[in-house]
Amino acid sequence: MSDQPTQEAITAVWRHESVRLVGALTRMTRDLDLAEDLAQDALVAALEQWPDSGRPGGGVPANPGAWLMAVAKRRAIDQFRRNDALRRRTAELARGLEEAEMPEFDAAVDHIEDDVLRLAFLSCHPALPPESRPALTLRLVGGLTTQEIARAYLVKDATMGQRISRAKRLLAESGASLEMPTGAERQARLGDVLAVVYLIFNEGYAASSGPEWTRPELCLEAMRLARILSWLVVDDPEVHGLQALLEIQGSRLPARRDADGRAVLLEAQDRRQWDQLLIRRGLTALAEAQRLGRAGRPVGTYVLQASIAACHARARRPEDTDWPEIARLYDVLAAAAPGPVVEVNRAVAHGRAHGADAGLDVLAAVDDDPALSGSHLLLAVRGDLMERAGRRDEAAAAFREAAALTRNDDERALLSRRADENTLDRRA
Amino acid sequence: MRYMVFVKMAPDAGDAPPALFEAMDTEMGQAFADGSMIAAGGLGGGEQIVELRLTDGAITTTDGPYAEAKELVGGFSIVEARSQEEAVEGARRVLELHQQYWPGWNGAVEIRPIWGPDN
Repeated sequence: MSDQPTQEAITAVWRHESVRLVGALTRMTRDLDLAEDLAQDALVAALEQWPDSGRPGGGVPANPGAWLMAVAKRRAIDQFRRNDALRRRTAELARGLEEAEMPEFDAAVDHIEDDVLRLAFLSCHPALPPESRPALTLRLVGGLTTQEIARAYLVKDATMGQRISRAKRLLAESGASLEMPTGAERQARLGDVLAVVYLIFNEGYAASSGPEWTRPELCLEAMRLARILSWLVVDDPEVHGLQALLEIQGSRLPARRDADGRAVLLEAQDRRQWDQLLIRRGLTALAEAQRLGRAGRPVGTYVLQASIAACHARARRPEDTDWPEIARLYDVLAAAAPGPVVEVNRAVAHGRAHGADAGLDVLAAVDDDPALSGSHLLLAVRGDLMERAGRRDEAAAAFREAAALTRNDDERALLSRRADENTLDRRA
Repeated sequence: MRYMVFVKMAPDAGDAPPALFEAMDTEMGQAFADGSMIAAGGLGGGEQIVELRLTDGAITTTDGPYAEAKELVGGFSIVEARSQEEAVEGARRVLELHQQYWPGWNGAVEIRPIWGPDN
Protein backbone atom coordinates (compact mmCIF):
# COMPACT_ATOMS: atom_id res chain seq x y z
CA MET A 1 0.00 0.00 0.00
CA SER A 2 1.52 3.28 -1.02
CA ASP A 3 -1.10 5.62 0.46
CA GLN A 4 -0.51 7.18 3.84
CA PRO A 5 -3.03 5.99 6.38
CA THR A 6 -4.66 8.81 8.29
CA GLN A 7 -5.31 8.86 12.00
CA GLU A 8 -8.98 8.11 11.25
CA ALA A 9 -7.99 5.07 9.22
CA ILE A 10 -5.79 3.79 12.04
CA THR A 11 -8.62 4.37 14.53
CA ALA A 12 -10.83 2.30 12.22
CA VAL A 13 -8.28 -0.53 12.33
CA TRP A 14 -8.22 -0.14 16.09
CA ARG A 15 -11.98 -0.63 16.27
CA HIS A 16 -11.66 -3.89 14.40
CA GLU A 17 -8.88 -5.14 16.64
CA SER A 18 -9.09 -3.61 20.10
CA VAL A 19 -11.66 -5.96 21.58
CA ARG A 20 -9.91 -9.16 20.63
CA LEU A 21 -6.55 -7.59 21.47
CA VAL A 22 -7.57 -6.49 24.98
CA GLY A 23 -9.52 -9.71 25.45
CA ALA A 24 -6.55 -11.92 24.59
CA LEU A 25 -4.10 -9.79 26.59
CA THR A 26 -6.41 -9.90 29.62
CA ARG A 27 -6.50 -13.67 29.39
CA MET A 28 -2.68 -13.85 29.09
CA THR A 29 -1.70 -11.29 31.74
CA ARG A 30 -4.66 -11.83 34.09
CA ASP A 31 -4.66 -8.06 34.54
CA LEU A 32 -7.26 -5.92 32.79
CA ASP A 33 -5.54 -2.60 33.49
CA LEU A 34 -2.21 -3.86 32.21
CA ALA A 35 -3.88 -5.42 29.18
CA GLU A 36 -5.50 -2.11 28.32
CA ASP A 37 -2.23 -0.22 28.79
CA LEU A 38 -0.40 -2.65 26.53
CA ALA A 39 -3.06 -2.40 23.87
CA GLN A 40 -2.98 1.39 24.09
CA ASP A 41 0.82 1.37 23.76
CA ALA A 42 0.47 -0.74 20.64
CA LEU A 43 -2.02 1.76 19.24
CA VAL A 44 0.37 4.63 19.94
CA ALA A 45 3.13 2.69 18.15
CA ALA A 46 0.81 2.19 15.20
CA LEU A 47 -0.04 5.89 15.09
CA GLU A 48 3.69 6.66 15.04
CA GLN A 49 4.81 4.10 12.52
CA TRP A 50 1.99 3.43 10.08
CA PRO A 51 1.54 6.93 8.65
CA ASP A 52 5.17 6.94 7.52
CA SER A 53 4.70 4.51 4.68
CA GLY A 54 7.94 5.61 3.01
CA ARG A 55 9.97 3.85 5.66
CA PRO A 56 10.30 0.12 6.15
CA GLY A 57 7.54 -0.99 8.47
CA GLY A 58 5.42 2.00 7.47
CA GLY A 59 1.88 1.84 6.11
CA VAL A 60 -0.90 -0.34 7.49
CA PRO A 61 0.62 -3.83 7.72
CA ALA A 62 -0.98 -6.79 5.99
CA ASN A 63 -2.27 -8.30 9.21
CA PRO A 64 -2.76 -5.31 11.53
CA GLY A 65 -4.16 -7.44 14.35
CA ALA A 66 -1.05 -9.61 14.49
CA TRP A 67 1.16 -6.51 14.30
CA LEU A 68 -0.60 -4.87 17.27
CA MET A 69 -0.50 -8.12 19.21
CA ALA A 70 3.22 -8.58 18.58
CA VAL A 71 3.97 -5.04 19.78
CA ALA A 72 1.78 -5.45 22.85
CA LYS A 73 3.42 -8.74 23.75
CA ARG A 74 6.91 -7.33 23.31
CA ARG A 75 6.02 -4.52 25.72
CA ALA A 76 4.48 -6.99 28.14
CA ILE A 77 7.72 -8.92 28.25
CA ASP A 78 9.76 -5.73 28.72
CA GLN A 79 7.54 -4.63 31.52
CA PHE A 80 7.63 -7.96 33.31
CA ARG A 81 11.43 -8.00 33.08
CA ARG A 82 11.77 -4.46 34.41
CA ASN A 83 9.71 -5.22 37.43
CA ASP A 84 12.33 -6.74 39.82
CA ALA A 85 9.96 -7.47 42.66
CA LEU A 86 7.80 -9.56 40.46
CA ARG A 87 10.58 -11.12 38.48
CA ARG A 88 10.35 -14.55 39.97
CA ARG A 89 6.61 -14.80 39.68
CA THR A 90 6.47 -13.38 36.21
CA ALA A 91 9.50 -15.10 34.71
CA GLU A 92 7.32 -17.99 33.77
CA LEU A 93 4.63 -15.79 32.38
CA ALA A 94 7.14 -13.82 30.33
CA ARG A 95 8.60 -17.02 28.97
CA GLY A 96 5.12 -18.17 28.07
CA LEU A 97 4.52 -14.95 26.18
CA GLU A 98 7.89 -15.16 24.49
CA GLU A 99 7.42 -18.71 23.36
CA ALA A 100 4.14 -17.79 21.81
CA GLU A 101 5.02 -16.84 18.27
CA MET A 102 3.21 -14.68 15.77
CA PRO A 103 0.64 -17.31 14.74
CA GLU A 104 -0.33 -17.34 18.40
CA PHE A 105 -2.58 -14.43 17.56
CA ASP A 106 -4.53 -16.65 15.23
CA ALA A 107 -4.78 -19.22 18.00
CA ALA A 108 -6.00 -16.46 20.30
CA VAL A 109 -8.81 -15.79 17.87
CA ASP A 110 -10.15 -19.24 18.75
CA HIS A 111 -10.85 -17.90 22.23
CA ILE A 112 -12.46 -14.75 20.98
CA GLU A 113 -15.97 -15.62 22.17
CA ASP A 114 -14.76 -16.30 25.69
CA ASP A 115 -12.47 -13.28 25.67
CA VAL A 116 -15.22 -10.88 24.65
CA LEU A 117 -17.73 -12.38 27.07
CA ARG A 118 -15.15 -12.12 29.86
CA LEU A 119 -14.73 -8.41 29.08
CA ALA A 120 -18.51 -7.97 29.17
CA PHE A 121 -18.77 -9.64 32.57
CA LEU A 122 -15.91 -7.50 33.90
CA SER A 123 -17.37 -4.25 32.54
CA CYS A 124 -20.69 -4.93 34.27
CA HIS A 125 -19.18 -6.37 37.44
CA PRO A 126 -21.23 -5.97 40.64
CA ALA A 127 -18.21 -4.30 42.29
CA LEU A 128 -18.65 -1.35 39.92
CA PRO A 129 -21.10 1.45 40.58
CA PRO A 130 -23.93 1.29 38.02
CA GLU A 131 -22.98 4.63 36.43
CA SER A 132 -19.52 3.47 35.38
CA ARG A 133 -20.63 0.20 33.82
CA PRO A 134 -21.94 1.61 30.50
CA ALA A 135 -18.73 3.56 29.88
CA LEU A 136 -16.50 0.59 30.57
CA THR A 137 -18.69 -1.69 28.44
CA LEU A 138 -18.53 0.70 25.49
CA ARG A 139 -14.79 0.93 25.91
CA LEU A 140 -13.91 -2.74 26.40
CA VAL A 141 -16.64 -4.57 24.48
CA GLY A 142 -17.70 -1.86 22.04
CA GLY A 143 -14.11 -0.90 21.21
CA LEU A 144 -14.87 2.82 21.44
CA THR A 145 -12.21 5.31 22.40
CA THR A 146 -12.59 7.38 25.55
CA GLN A 147 -13.15 10.47 23.39
CA GLU A 148 -15.99 8.81 21.51
CA ILE A 149 -17.67 7.73 24.75
CA ALA A 150 -17.23 11.21 26.22
CA ARG A 151 -18.83 12.73 23.14
CA ALA A 152 -21.75 10.28 23.30
CA TYR A 153 -22.40 11.14 26.94
CA LEU A 154 -21.79 14.87 26.47
CA VAL A 155 -18.99 15.04 29.04
CA LYS A 156 -15.39 16.21 28.79
CA ASP A 157 -12.77 13.71 27.60
CA ALA A 158 -10.88 14.06 30.88
CA THR A 159 -14.02 13.40 32.92
CA MET A 160 -14.76 10.23 30.99
CA GLY A 161 -11.10 9.19 31.18
CA GLN A 162 -11.22 9.51 34.96
CA ARG A 163 -14.48 7.59 35.18
CA ILE A 164 -12.98 4.72 33.19
CA SER A 165 -9.69 4.67 35.13
CA ARG A 166 -11.60 4.71 38.40
CA ALA A 167 -13.70 1.77 37.25
CA LYS A 168 -10.62 -0.23 36.31
CA ARG A 169 -8.99 0.61 39.63
CA LEU A 170 -12.11 -0.48 41.49
CA LEU A 171 -12.09 -3.77 39.63
CA ALA A 172 -8.44 -4.36 40.55
CA GLU A 173 -9.01 -3.40 44.21
CA SER A 174 -12.08 -5.56 44.57
CA GLY A 175 -10.10 -8.54 43.30
CA ALA A 176 -12.79 -9.17 40.72
CA SER A 177 -12.24 -12.61 39.30
CA LEU A 178 -11.27 -12.90 35.66
CA GLU A 179 -12.78 -16.36 35.57
CA MET A 180 -16.04 -16.87 33.77
CA PRO A 181 -18.92 -17.11 36.21
CA THR A 182 -20.91 -20.35 36.11
CA GLY A 183 -24.34 -21.61 37.09
CA ALA A 184 -26.67 -19.26 38.94
CA GLU A 185 -23.97 -16.59 39.21
CA ARG A 186 -23.53 -16.61 35.46
CA GLN A 187 -27.26 -16.12 35.01
CA ALA A 188 -27.31 -13.18 37.41
CA ARG A 189 -24.21 -11.60 35.89
CA LEU A 190 -25.63 -12.04 32.41
CA GLY A 191 -28.69 -10.15 33.64
CA ASP A 192 -26.39 -7.32 34.75
CA VAL A 193 -24.77 -7.21 31.31
CA LEU A 194 -28.14 -7.09 29.54
CA ALA A 195 -29.29 -4.31 31.88
CA VAL A 196 -26.24 -2.20 31.02
CA VAL A 197 -26.76 -2.64 27.28
CA TYR A 198 -30.42 -1.66 27.70
CA LEU A 199 -29.35 1.38 29.73
CA ILE A 200 -26.99 2.50 26.97
CA PHE A 201 -29.76 2.12 24.41
CA ASN A 202 -32.29 4.03 26.47
CA GLU A 203 -29.94 6.93 27.08
CA GLY A 204 -29.67 7.23 23.32
CA TYR A 205 -33.36 6.62 22.63
CA ALA A 206 -34.70 9.29 24.97
CA ALA A 207 -31.80 11.32 26.24
CA SER A 208 -32.24 12.17 29.90
CA SER A 209 -30.48 15.50 29.44
CA GLY A 210 -29.21 17.84 26.77
CA PRO A 211 -30.80 19.65 23.88
CA GLU A 212 -31.37 16.56 21.71
CA TRP A 213 -34.28 14.17 22.08
CA THR A 214 -32.27 11.20 20.81
CA ARG A 215 -28.59 10.31 20.49
CA PRO A 216 -28.65 7.66 17.79
CA GLU A 217 -24.96 6.74 18.10
CA LEU A 218 -25.60 5.32 21.57
CA CYS A 219 -28.52 3.29 20.22
CA LEU A 220 -26.38 1.93 17.39
CA GLU A 221 -23.63 0.90 19.82
CA ALA A 222 -26.16 -0.76 22.13
CA MET A 223 -27.63 -2.69 19.19
CA ARG A 224 -24.15 -3.79 18.18
CA LEU A 225 -23.43 -4.95 21.74
CA ALA A 226 -26.76 -6.81 21.90
CA ARG A 227 -25.98 -8.62 18.64
CA ILE A 228 -22.54 -9.61 19.90
CA LEU A 229 -24.14 -11.02 23.05
CA SER A 230 -26.65 -13.03 20.97
CA TRP A 231 -23.70 -14.41 19.07
CA LEU A 232 -21.81 -15.29 22.27
CA VAL A 233 -24.71 -16.64 24.33
CA VAL A 234 -26.82 -18.57 21.86
CA ASP A 235 -29.11 -20.48 24.21
CA ASP A 236 -30.63 -17.74 26.37
CA PRO A 237 -34.04 -16.37 25.28
CA GLU A 238 -33.53 -13.11 27.15
CA VAL A 239 -30.31 -12.34 25.27
CA HIS A 240 -32.13 -12.72 21.95
CA GLY A 241 -35.11 -10.91 23.45
CA LEU A 242 -32.98 -7.88 24.29
CA GLN A 243 -31.53 -7.87 20.79
CA ALA A 244 -35.04 -8.08 19.33
CA LEU A 245 -36.27 -5.27 21.56
CA LEU A 246 -33.41 -2.94 20.64
CA GLU A 247 -33.57 -3.70 16.91
CA ILE A 248 -37.30 -3.04 16.76
CA GLN A 249 -37.18 0.10 18.87
CA GLY A 250 -34.08 1.22 16.98
CA SER A 251 -35.93 0.78 13.69
CA ARG A 252 -38.08 3.78 14.64
CA LEU A 253 -35.19 6.18 15.24
CA PRO A 254 -35.42 7.86 11.81
CA ALA A 255 -39.12 8.54 12.41
CA ARG A 256 -38.85 9.77 16.00
CA ARG A 257 -38.07 13.34 15.00
CA ASP A 258 -39.68 15.53 12.41
CA ALA A 259 -37.94 17.74 9.86
CA ASP A 260 -37.47 20.43 12.53
CA GLY A 261 -35.93 17.92 14.91
CA ARG A 262 -38.95 17.77 17.18
CA ALA A 263 -40.07 14.58 18.90
CA VAL A 264 -42.71 12.49 17.14
CA LEU A 265 -44.59 9.91 19.19
CA LEU A 266 -45.18 6.37 17.98
CA GLU A 267 -48.65 6.76 16.54
CA ALA A 268 -47.83 9.94 14.66
CA GLN A 269 -44.68 8.53 13.07
CA ASP A 270 -44.30 8.07 9.33
CA ARG A 271 -43.97 4.30 9.32
CA ARG A 272 -42.34 4.31 5.89
CA GLN A 273 -39.29 5.71 7.67
CA TRP A 274 -39.00 2.70 9.97
CA ASP A 275 -35.85 0.80 9.16
CA GLN A 276 -37.13 -2.47 7.69
CA LEU A 277 -33.74 -4.17 7.98
CA LEU A 278 -33.72 -3.64 11.74
CA ILE A 279 -37.35 -4.77 12.02
CA ARG A 280 -36.50 -7.94 10.11
CA ARG A 281 -33.51 -8.60 12.35
CA GLY A 282 -35.59 -7.89 15.42
CA LEU A 283 -38.39 -10.26 14.40
CA THR A 284 -35.82 -12.95 13.60
CA ALA A 285 -34.20 -12.54 17.02
CA LEU A 286 -37.63 -12.62 18.68
CA ALA A 287 -38.54 -15.82 16.83
CA GLU A 288 -35.31 -17.39 18.11
CA ALA A 289 -36.07 -16.26 21.67
CA GLN A 290 -39.56 -17.73 21.45
CA ARG A 291 -38.22 -20.97 20.00
CA LEU A 292 -35.82 -21.28 22.96
CA GLY A 293 -38.71 -20.44 25.27
CA ARG A 294 -40.83 -23.22 23.82
CA ALA A 295 -37.87 -25.56 24.34
CA GLY A 296 -38.10 -24.81 28.04
CA ARG A 297 -35.56 -22.03 28.57
CA PRO A 298 -36.86 -19.30 30.88
CA VAL A 299 -38.38 -16.29 29.14
CA GLY A 300 -38.38 -12.92 30.86
CA THR A 301 -39.18 -9.27 30.52
CA TYR A 302 -37.00 -8.55 27.47
CA VAL A 303 -38.83 -11.17 25.42
CA LEU A 304 -42.18 -9.75 26.59
CA GLN A 305 -41.17 -6.19 25.78
CA ALA A 306 -39.84 -7.31 22.40
CA SER A 307 -43.16 -9.07 21.73
CA ILE A 308 -44.96 -5.80 22.44
CA ALA A 309 -42.58 -3.84 20.21
CA ALA A 310 -43.15 -6.45 17.48
CA CYS A 311 -46.93 -5.78 17.58
CA HIS A 312 -46.21 -2.18 16.64
CA ALA A 313 -43.61 -3.14 14.03
CA ARG A 314 -46.05 -5.47 12.29
CA ALA A 315 -48.75 -2.81 11.97
CA ARG A 316 -48.44 -1.01 8.66
CA ARG A 317 -50.78 1.75 9.86
CA PRO A 318 -51.47 2.83 13.47
CA GLU A 319 -55.06 1.62 13.16
CA ASP A 320 -53.80 -1.87 12.31
CA THR A 321 -52.15 -2.19 15.74
CA ASP A 322 -53.26 -5.26 17.66
CA TRP A 323 -53.99 -3.38 20.91
CA PRO A 324 -55.85 -6.27 22.61
CA GLU A 325 -52.71 -8.42 22.16
CA ILE A 326 -50.52 -5.59 23.49
CA ALA A 327 -52.84 -5.15 26.49
CA ARG A 328 -52.62 -8.89 27.12
CA LEU A 329 -48.81 -8.82 26.93
CA TYR A 330 -48.70 -5.88 29.35
CA ASP A 331 -50.88 -7.87 31.76
CA VAL A 332 -48.30 -10.67 31.64
CA LEU A 333 -45.44 -8.18 31.98
CA ALA A 334 -47.10 -6.46 34.94
CA ALA A 335 -47.45 -9.84 36.66
CA ALA A 336 -43.84 -10.84 35.90
CA ALA A 337 -42.22 -7.51 36.74
CA PRO A 338 -44.67 -5.36 38.68
CA GLY A 339 -43.90 -1.67 38.79
CA PRO A 340 -45.51 1.71 38.35
CA VAL A 341 -43.96 2.36 34.91
CA VAL A 342 -45.32 -0.93 33.56
CA GLU A 343 -48.73 0.01 34.96
CA VAL A 344 -48.65 3.33 33.13
CA ASN A 345 -47.88 1.57 29.86
CA ARG A 346 -50.53 -1.01 30.62
CA ALA A 347 -52.99 1.85 31.05
CA VAL A 348 -52.09 3.14 27.58
CA ALA A 349 -52.65 -0.32 26.06
CA HIS A 350 -55.96 -0.92 27.83
CA GLY A 351 -57.04 2.59 26.87
CA ARG A 352 -56.50 1.76 23.22
CA ALA A 353 -57.81 -1.78 23.36
CA HIS A 354 -60.84 -1.37 25.58
CA GLY A 355 -61.60 2.36 25.72
CA ALA A 356 -60.16 5.40 27.50
CA ASP A 357 -62.08 4.62 30.70
CA ALA A 358 -60.47 1.18 30.93
CA GLY A 359 -57.09 2.91 30.66
CA LEU A 360 -57.98 5.48 33.31
CA ASP A 361 -59.04 2.63 35.62
CA VAL A 362 -55.58 1.05 35.34
CA LEU A 363 -53.98 4.43 35.86
CA ALA A 364 -56.05 5.18 38.98
CA ALA A 365 -54.30 2.34 40.80
CA VAL A 366 -50.90 4.03 40.48
CA ASP A 367 -52.14 7.61 40.72
CA ASP A 368 -50.48 8.33 44.04
CA ASP A 369 -47.55 5.95 43.67
CA PRO A 370 -44.61 7.79 45.23
CA ALA A 371 -42.27 6.39 42.57
CA LEU A 372 -44.15 8.39 39.93
CA SER A 373 -44.53 11.65 41.81
CA GLY A 374 -42.38 14.19 40.06
CA SER A 375 -42.39 12.13 36.85
CA HIS A 376 -43.98 13.54 33.74
CA LEU A 377 -44.78 10.07 32.40
CA LEU A 378 -47.97 9.39 34.35
CA LEU A 379 -49.27 12.90 33.69
CA ALA A 380 -48.59 12.68 29.96
CA VAL A 381 -50.52 9.41 29.76
CA ARG A 382 -53.37 10.77 31.86
CA GLY A 383 -53.55 13.76 29.52
CA ASP A 384 -53.76 11.45 26.54
CA LEU A 385 -56.49 9.25 28.07
CA MET A 386 -58.48 12.29 29.24
CA GLU A 387 -58.26 13.70 25.73
CA ARG A 388 -59.59 10.45 24.31
CA ALA A 389 -62.35 10.37 26.91
CA GLY A 390 -63.33 13.88 25.81
CA ARG A 391 -62.40 15.41 29.20
CA ARG A 392 -60.29 18.13 27.63
CA ASP A 393 -59.90 20.50 30.59
CA GLU A 394 -58.44 17.67 32.61
CA ALA A 395 -56.30 16.71 29.61
CA ALA A 396 -54.92 20.24 29.28
CA ALA A 397 -54.12 20.40 33.00
CA ALA A 398 -52.31 17.06 32.93
CA PHE A 399 -50.24 17.95 29.85
CA ARG A 400 -49.37 21.33 31.35
CA GLU A 401 -48.19 19.71 34.57
CA ALA A 402 -46.23 17.07 32.63
CA ALA A 403 -44.50 19.77 30.55
CA ALA A 404 -43.36 21.49 33.73
CA LEU A 405 -41.78 18.27 35.01
CA THR A 406 -39.83 16.91 32.05
CA ARG A 407 -36.16 17.77 31.75
CA ASN A 408 -35.94 17.14 28.03
CA ASP A 409 -36.45 20.30 25.96
CA ASP A 410 -37.99 18.49 23.00
CA GLU A 411 -40.44 16.57 25.10
CA ARG A 412 -41.48 19.74 26.92
CA ALA A 413 -42.32 21.37 23.62
CA LEU A 414 -44.42 18.39 22.58
CA LEU A 415 -46.34 18.29 25.88
CA SER A 416 -46.96 22.05 25.84
CA ARG A 417 -48.31 21.76 22.32
CA ARG A 418 -50.78 19.10 23.40
CA ALA A 419 -51.77 21.17 26.44
CA ASP A 420 -52.50 24.09 24.11
CA GLU A 421 -54.55 21.90 21.79
CA ASN A 422 -56.79 20.99 24.71
CA THR A 423 -57.04 24.47 26.22
CA LEU A 424 -60.53 25.94 25.83
CA ASP A 425 -59.76 29.15 23.94
CA ARG A 426 -57.42 27.43 21.48
CA ARG A 427 -59.51 24.43 20.60
CA ALA A 428 -60.27 24.05 16.94
CA MET B 1 -24.25 4.90 7.97
CA ARG B 2 -24.64 2.17 5.39
CA TYR B 3 -22.34 1.63 2.45
CA MET B 4 -22.50 -0.50 -0.64
CA VAL B 5 -19.21 -2.03 -1.63
CA PHE B 6 -18.68 -3.21 -5.21
CA VAL B 7 -15.93 -5.67 -6.04
CA LYS B 8 -14.85 -5.06 -9.62
CA MET B 9 -12.69 -7.37 -11.68
CA ALA B 10 -11.84 -8.43 -15.21
CA PRO B 11 -14.79 -10.18 -16.93
CA ASP B 12 -12.68 -13.28 -17.52
CA ALA B 13 -11.45 -13.57 -13.90
CA GLY B 14 -13.13 -16.97 -13.57
CA ASP B 15 -14.41 -18.56 -10.38
CA ALA B 16 -13.01 -17.65 -6.99
CA PRO B 17 -11.06 -20.46 -5.28
CA PRO B 18 -12.95 -22.16 -2.40
CA ALA B 19 -10.18 -21.09 0.00
CA LEU B 20 -11.18 -17.47 -0.57
CA PHE B 21 -14.79 -18.19 0.37
CA GLU B 22 -13.64 -19.98 3.51
CA ALA B 23 -11.36 -17.10 4.48
CA MET B 24 -14.14 -14.60 3.81
CA ASP B 25 -16.52 -16.61 6.00
CA THR B 26 -14.05 -16.56 8.87
CA GLU B 27 -13.21 -12.89 8.45
CA MET B 28 -16.82 -11.83 8.03
CA GLY B 29 -18.20 -14.07 10.78
CA GLN B 30 -18.07 -11.49 13.49
CA ALA B 31 -19.06 -8.70 11.14
CA PHE B 32 -22.25 -10.59 10.33
CA ALA B 33 -22.77 -11.34 14.02
CA ASP B 34 -22.51 -7.74 15.19
CA GLY B 35 -24.60 -6.46 12.31
CA SER B 36 -21.90 -4.48 10.53
CA MET B 37 -22.11 -6.84 7.53
CA ILE B 38 -25.64 -6.67 6.23
CA ALA B 39 -25.32 -8.66 3.03
CA ALA B 40 -22.57 -9.98 0.80
CA GLY B 41 -22.46 -12.07 -2.31
CA GLY B 42 -20.91 -12.88 -5.65
CA LEU B 43 -22.58 -11.98 -8.93
CA GLY B 44 -22.94 -14.09 -12.04
CA GLY B 45 -21.32 -12.72 -15.19
CA GLY B 46 -20.94 -13.54 -18.86
CA GLU B 47 -24.12 -14.70 -20.55
CA GLN B 48 -25.96 -14.50 -17.22
CA ILE B 49 -26.01 -10.72 -17.50
CA VAL B 50 -29.10 -9.10 -18.96
CA GLU B 51 -29.27 -5.37 -19.48
CA LEU B 52 -32.46 -3.46 -20.23
CA ARG B 53 -31.93 0.03 -21.53
CA LEU B 54 -34.24 2.93 -22.29
CA THR B 55 -32.91 5.03 -25.14
CA ASP B 56 -34.88 7.71 -26.96
CA GLY B 57 -38.19 6.22 -25.87
CA ALA B 58 -37.39 2.64 -26.80
CA ILE B 59 -36.53 -0.18 -24.42
CA THR B 60 -33.92 -2.60 -25.69
CA THR B 61 -32.60 -5.76 -24.13
CA THR B 62 -28.98 -6.85 -24.42
CA ASP B 63 -27.66 -10.17 -23.17
CA GLY B 64 -24.11 -10.64 -21.94
CA PRO B 65 -21.29 -11.30 -22.21
CA TYR B 66 -19.79 -7.90 -22.86
CA ALA B 67 -16.49 -8.63 -24.50
CA GLU B 68 -15.54 -4.97 -24.56
CA ALA B 69 -15.91 -4.43 -20.78
CA LYS B 70 -12.59 -4.05 -18.97
CA GLU B 71 -14.08 -4.46 -15.50
CA LEU B 72 -17.36 -5.87 -14.21
CA VAL B 73 -18.92 -5.89 -10.80
CA GLY B 74 -18.33 -9.46 -9.63
CA GLY B 75 -19.30 -9.17 -5.99
CA PHE B 76 -20.88 -6.82 -3.53
CA SER B 77 -21.49 -6.23 0.13
CA ILE B 78 -23.69 -3.90 2.11
CA VAL B 79 -22.12 -2.78 5.36
CA GLU B 80 -22.97 -0.63 8.33
CA ALA B 81 -20.03 1.44 9.53
CA ARG B 82 -19.51 4.24 12.01
CA SER B 83 -17.41 6.21 9.56
CA GLN B 84 -16.22 6.21 5.99
CA GLU B 85 -12.77 5.21 7.28
CA GLU B 86 -14.24 2.16 8.96
CA ALA B 87 -15.98 1.12 5.73
CA VAL B 88 -12.73 1.64 3.82
CA GLU B 89 -10.84 -0.46 6.35
CA GLY B 90 -13.31 -3.30 5.92
CA ALA B 91 -12.98 -3.09 2.14
CA ARG B 92 -9.19 -3.09 2.38
CA ARG B 93 -9.43 -6.44 4.18
CA VAL B 94 -11.52 -7.87 1.39
CA LEU B 95 -8.77 -6.92 -1.05
CA GLU B 96 -6.12 -8.43 1.21
CA LEU B 97 -7.98 -11.72 1.27
CA HIS B 98 -8.12 -11.70 -2.53
CA GLN B 99 -4.40 -10.96 -2.58
CA GLN B 100 -3.73 -13.90 -0.30
CA TYR B 101 -6.15 -16.54 -1.62
CA TRP B 102 -6.58 -15.69 -5.29
CA PRO B 103 -3.08 -15.24 -6.74
CA GLY B 104 -3.01 -13.26 -9.94
CA TRP B 105 -6.38 -11.63 -9.29
CA ASN B 106 -6.57 -7.96 -10.18
CA GLY B 107 -9.45 -5.76 -9.33
CA ALA B 108 -10.85 -3.01 -7.19
CA VAL B 109 -13.35 -2.34 -4.45
CA GLU B 110 -15.51 0.73 -4.64
CA ILE B 111 -17.22 2.11 -1.54
CA ARG B 112 -20.37 4.18 -1.91
CA PRO B 113 -22.54 5.59 0.87
CA ILE B 114 -26.19 4.58 0.70
CA TRP B 115 -28.42 7.62 1.08
CA GLY B 116 -30.47 7.41 4.22
CA PRO B 117 -32.04 9.57 6.90
CA ASP B 118 -28.65 10.28 8.50
CA ASN B 119 -26.90 11.78 5.49
